[in-house]
Amino acid sequence: MTDDPSVTDDTGDQPATDGGAPERRTVSVPERIDFPRMLDFYELQDAEHTEIHQFYDNLHEGDLTTTECGDCGAIHFPPRIVCPECHSDDLAYTSLPHRGELFAFTEVRGAAPIGMNDDVPFVVAVVDLGPVRLSARVVDAGYEDLSIGDEVELVIVDLDDATDQDRVFFRFTPVAGADGADAATEG
Amino acid sequence: MSRTAAIVGGANTRWGKREATWKDLVQEAGKATFEDVDGLDVSDVEGLFVGAVQPERFANQSHVAPLAAELLGVNVTEMIARTELACASGQAALRYAWLAIAAGQLDVALVVGVEKMNLGKEYMPEMQSTMTNVVDREFDGVNGLNGPSFFTLLAQRHMHEFGTTQEQLAQVASKNKSHAANTDFAQFQQSCSVDDVLESYPIAPPLHLFDCSGITDGASGLLLVSEEKAEELGGPATYVAGSGQSCMASNSVNNLPSFTGWPQATQASRTAYEQAGIEDPVEDLDVAEIHDCFSISEIIEYEDLGWVEKGEGGSFIEEGRSELDGDIAVNPRGGLLGCGHPLGATGVSQAIEVHQQLHGQVESARQVPDDPSTGLIHNLSGSGSVHSVMILERDLE
Repeated sequence: MTDDPSVTDDTGDQPATDGGAPERRTVSVPERIDFPRMLDFYELQDAEHTEIHQFYDNLHEGDLTTTECGDCGAIHFPPRIVCPECHSDDLAYTSLPHRGELFAFTEVRGAAPIGMNDDVPFVVAVVDLGPVRLSARVVDAGYEDLSIGDEVELVIVDLDDATDQDRVFFRFTPVAGADGADAATEG
Repeated sequence: MSRTAAIVGGANTRWGKREATWKDLVQEAGKATFEDVDGLDVSDVEGLFVGAVQPERFANQSHVAPLAAELLGVNVTEMIARTELACASGQAALRYAWLAIAAGQLDVALVVGVEKMNLGKEYMPEMQSTMTNVVDREFDGVNGLNGPSFFTLLAQRHMHEFGTTQEQLAQVASKNKSHAANTDFAQFQQSCSVDDVLESYPIAPPLHLFDCSGITDGASGLLLVSEEKAEELGGPATYVAGSGQSCMASNSVNNLPSFTGWPQATQASRTAYEQAGIEDPVEDLDVAEIHDCFSISEIIEYEDLGWVEKGEGGSFIEEGRSELDGDIAVNPRGGLLGCGHPLGATGVSQAIEVHQQLHGQVESARQVPDDPSTGLIHNLSGSGSVHSVMILERDLE
């Protein structure tokens, strides 16, 4: 222990050796322990880290896509590398509609998970795109502005994060002119 | 099954915001469990099953079953396992123990469920991440879906499709929280009116804060033994008469079979009813501890456990059919809404409550009347993707 550089000897030149109070030292514990990058909830999105990188590549280029099975025709979401219906790995990316309807939604006003506290309040919804139903944040609107069935459209967000990657994700916004779009102009 | 198993006793630690570590909670529950059972001691235990969801995150500790074995002095000779099935880890542990006993592998098992969740207010977002991780983290959790924000979507759809009302949701919360006023280990021991629920903060509308279960530290333990061993002991015993589980290849939002129901609960309960010889659950069940993580959950469960037609769950509470003196006394302990929800412990505690109800061992204010003999426990997990149902009977058929 004595050669541990984190140990500070603050007992001066007089360590207890006579059976009195034991020697006391101070050791440093890091003030802050960085959590792994993965705790920001987003994957590393490139080919080096995920086999569904094409989903993220497509999103980066402006297209929301998912996988479709070349053998049984099933459309999946989330995208896969193996079809859960028939276990084929002959999958291809197919575009999803960029507009859909609000199937269900709420507003997170508290009890947000780690890293999302600064976003509160925010709307999270289930959006029905037709072939699939996915969860997504809805931007530019509050809970009171929205109704089941409202039309929403895709927004791609660039992540300003601690990685050296250009990561992206998808959100939705009320379609201008549709119900709930009043708030869209309020930012 | 060649033979079944019986709960012969169990105990809960005090639940709530505890000034105690994960290890402290395990020791409290273990000591109290052995004190509850005459004729068995730790040297009789051959198997240990520990329900625990996220000790890695909350207690910075993994490989927790051997740790519990050491803390309680259990020399495991047959089987040791930790079960992780999110909020249903407790019943999963009990079910593993039951199967091991039924298979003839062992005669005496200790089942412990435990969770340490309160890390201090400043770390509440870390705690909330538990629920964010049990759905598909990459595509659903990432959007901020966790307990309240996911289950409220079911509430909204149920209200939209079936006309279930905010008041009916609040009636569930009021009933269960008021039951917990008679439960000495519960986190919330205060009566709570329907108006109290409606006036609480709409934390993820339509659900209000009091529609949600708590963030809870706690542990529960029980001893499960073979039917031969139960007869030898001669004390109060509650037999596992049926057990079912279902997951329909779904966990993420796009793949859930429904947003207003849980066909998995229907399937799991059918299996359990069939094994137990139950043809009419409303007629045959006297008491049930079902997974009311949120008020909407209990309403959906009335329906999908086969007690009332789909969409009519709201009327089941409104008509008082789930009160202590109703058709089925539901959550006399106070449920998750009243007792709190230390994830791994909940399923174990539900089983203890039914055992104690069937043997007249609970405080008289929450004792189900008319000599109950048949009970049900139900645990769901994650996005409702898995449902676990067990039938418990006082008398061996």
